[in-house]
Amino acid sequence: MNGRRLLPGLLALCLGAILARALAVSLGFNRLLLAIALGFVATNAVGIPDRLEPGIATHGLWLAGGIVLMGASISLGTVLEVGGLVLVLVVGVTATTLLAVEFLARNVFGLADRMGSLLAAGASICGVSAVVAVAGAVSAREEQIAYAAATVLLFDAITIVVYPIVGDLLDLSGMVFGTWAGVSMFSTGPVVAVGFAHSDVAGQWATMTKLARNALIGVVVLAYASYYAHAGGGGRPSVRTLWNEFPTFVLGFLALAVVSSAGVLSSAQVTSIENAYDWLFVLAFVGLGTEIRLADLRATGPMPAVVVLLALLVSSALSLAALLVLF
Amino acid sequence: MSIDGWRPTAVAATDRRRGLERDWRSVRVGAAIVAPASAFELQVPR
Repeated sequence: MNGRRLLPGLLALCLGAILARALAVSLGFNRLLLAIALGFVATNAVGIPDRLEPGIATHGLWLAGGIVLMGASISLGTVLEVGGLVLVLVVGVTATTLLAVEFLARNVFGLADRMGSLLAAGASICGVSAVVAVAGAVSAREEQIAYAAATVLLFDAITIVVYPIVGDLLDLSGMVFGTWAGVSMFSTGPVVAVGFAHSDVAGQWATMTKLARNALIGVVVLAYASYYAHAGGGGRPSVRTLWNEFPTFVLGFLALAVVSSAGVLSSAQVTSIENAYDWLFVLAFVGLGTEIRLADLRATGPMPAVVVLLALLVSSALSLAALLVLF
Repeated sequence: MSIDGWRPTAVAATDRRRGLERDWRSVRVGAAIVAPASAFELQVPR
């Protein structure tokens, strides 16, 4: 990491975070969604200078660091109490979404196999990260990666707006709303943002559910590598993939959750850590907003967008119905 | 609309992946905050 190269963009993120928090207090609007809105307006109305790009591109690191810190707020007792049911739901919805996108892409809309696989991974696991990870396993072309990434980003932008509205209209509890967002939205950043915009409880459940989904990435990459190697022309599958693709910030989150649940940290220390991750999230979401670029979203093809929309409607409706029945 | 031109989606996608890449930087960020907060009772303002 070159500090001097990153500094201008990091300063821009800090200024954006301070501005988002100040505006949130004066306007009475949620600071996380405001941070995304600020980044979005900056990139689409003014544009981001090249010298700010390297620093702003670190926003994923601050999001992951914030998720690690969030482990301090988690009660392992509560997680163990209802975690089994949520885990079954995560695996069920992930598999349903993946198979739905594959079926629609191949059999209904006639998309190329690899394109369908990239969309399926992005919709079912963890957005653009999954698209890029699976692209290596299936030897996808650069334009297919860009196309699939643009489709995922389009639905990230849509769900950031739609999910909070639906959550308010249906008056969902924090646990139900958070788990619903975590199990059915695409990328980690938007899931954390809409979760904490609803309530702290929703934010924690949204993040935990999403981390469980993210942890499945190794399995999905391995499955795709095996399938395409068998069909000819894919990367070489290896059990090591399971570890190579496992997101390490999930381990940091779990370690801190164990430490905190053991009572090692005082309530003042936990409060400080909670304040720290809140700052990291605001910082990260200013950067996330700069990635929602209208010009890129307009490049999304209608067919991939329809395929992903149909799969999202199915997984979203099924998971919400299951959550309302279970909790 | 942009000062220096748009960054292609594929580059943005790779950047984001790089941000959440499978290394220990995010864990180090967490440890760098937890360590002083717990050792010196450092208060992080809201």
